[in-house]
Amino acid sequence: MQAIEVSHLIKKFGPLTALNDITFSVGEGETFGFLGPNGAGKTTTIRILTGISRPTSGTAIIFGNDIEHDTIAARQTMGIVSENSNVYDDLTAWQNMIFSAELYHVGRKEREKKTNELLMTFGLHERRNDKVHGFSKGMKRRLTLAMGLVNSPRLLFLDEPTSGLDVQSNLIIRDVVTELVSEGVTVFLTTHNIEEANVMCDRVAIINKGNIAAIDAPESLKKTIQSVQSIELSFNHSSIDQLEELRRLPMVNDAHKAGDKFKLYTEDPSEVIDAVMAYAHTHNLKVISITTLGPSLEDVFIRLTGLRRTGGAAHAID
Amino acid sequence: MPSIDHKGWTKRLSRELSAAWAIARKDMRIYYLKPNIIVSGILFPLFMFLAFAIGKNAPAGTLIPGLISITLLFSASSIEPVSIPIERRVKTFDRLLSAPISLHSLVAGESLSGFLYSLGIACLPLAVGVIIFSTPIVHVPVLVIAMILTSFCFATLGTLFAAYPTENVGEVMSMLNTVRLPLIFISGVFIPISTMPQIGQKIALISPLTYGNDMIEFAYTGKSLFSPLLDIVVLVIFIMIFQIAANHLYKKFNE
Repeated sequence: MQAIEVSHLIKKFGPLTALNDITFSVGEGETFGFLGPNGAGKTTTIRILTGISRPTSGTAIIFGNDIEHDTIAARQTMGIVSENSNVYDDLTAWQNMIFSAELYHVGRKEREKKTNELLMTFGLHERRNDKVHGFSKGMKRRLTLAMGLVNSPRLLFLDEPTSGLDVQSNLIIRDVVTELVSEGVTVFLTTHNIEEANVMCDRVAIINKGNIAAIDAPESLKKTIQSVQSIELSFNHSSIDQLEELRRLPMVNDAHKAGDKFKLYTEDPSEVIDAVMAYAHTHNLKVISITTLGPSLEDVFIRLTGLRRTGGAAHAID
Repeated sequence: MPSIDHKGWTKRLSRELSAAWAIARKDMRIYYLKPNIIVSGILFPLFMFLAFAIGKNAPAGTLIPGLISITLLFSASSIEPVSIPIERRVKTFDRLLSAPISLHSLVAGESLSGFLYSLGIACLPLAVGVIIFSTPIVHVPVLVIAMILTSFCFATLGTLFAAYPTENVGEVMSMLNTVRLPLIFISGVFIPISTMPQIGQKIALISPLTYGNDMIEFAYTGKSLFSPLLDIVVLVIFIMIFQIAANHLYKKFNE
């Protein structure tokens, strides 16, 4: 049985089409990444899959239950970790957990046991009786994830799980998600952190302007744009003036500078390496490091969503 | 098989009720002592009452039924118009909307906290009447039923207004007050309905406070405009209308 089956989903808000006939499925036990720029339709999709919004047309089936008609049965199988750490600041960590368990009909003994376990796992047990308003951003995020797991879900919706977090919270969350995946939990992940999706996901879908632009395993997606290979290098002395000169080297399509490193995009890495060595020799520079890189998932994302790079960042093309 | 269906429905109902109770308990813990709830639910009806009662040539004890009525109106309808916009803003309301419970349970759970808050607050004027003014209560069971129904009716009204999709408490409160404030003038709380002009008497019929106040008056004086049974039936109809309308609006505004 598929964990999620989305078929011809359309969502319109007046004249605006937020989702334009999207179809995809997520297998049980799969970690599925859902990527897209802001306003692409990610949140609308999640709101429909969790039964908060209704589609204009099309269906979404969660473990065999139609989310529109068997809403409660479908929701019972899910855990939802929203992008905002939507915890109750005026309740303690323990009260937040118990409230979440009560909403998901977890029995009294089980909810106390599960709450204890999860608070320990997420390093919050010692603070269980403290009100959440005194918690750091990372602690609130960990509590949000713990609340999403209190009903032992078969399907976990993770919306930007590690965005802007401290290293400790980041590591705890990633470890827990890895363990959940090994236990067979299906994960539906939306993230702006493309590297996170690359590392964690079995497959990713890239959504843009309400359409699914691509859907495949990260490595397969990268193969589709082999022309976007790159060379990352650094010299013993680097300056911004060198960027323009490197960009003018033969076979270099584009170049960026990030910190002390230059990244040159090309279809022919070996020829560019020769050109770079000649450039270094001519300008009396020493090459400190040089690495050939295949296309990243970010490159695929940028190619498919029509974004463009400015410096290190990607920006939408209007 | 009917027996399995029955068992399934019993389990479902029990789950829905316990989820509604969990929502109510959460609201009690978080919102009962919030300053804007205290102002809107306790101080506002008290000062409204004093503004009209002071200078009236009536024994203070006879004003207790009116004070109970407006306390029920304001306190019951004050929790959700504050809590729900706040929860929309901090996104905790999404937690409730995505939980495996029906919208009816969500609406009932939200109303339950306003209902219990209001009953607790309305016990204050009741106690003042009994202890300080020795105001006699002729029909205690009628008073209990009147307080329960009136309180739940206005708690559901508060939940209905809170369905308006805003994150701004003031917006909901402004809309609610345009309904709540006229109600106290047309429902026989300060001016007996029988002394009102014809048009006022007709308008009074569409106010739920008319029936709640009528029952409370009956409980204290043994006299009323309508029979208590009619008051009960009309209040139950108002509760059902508010509950169904709230359910519809929460569904509509979340699409």
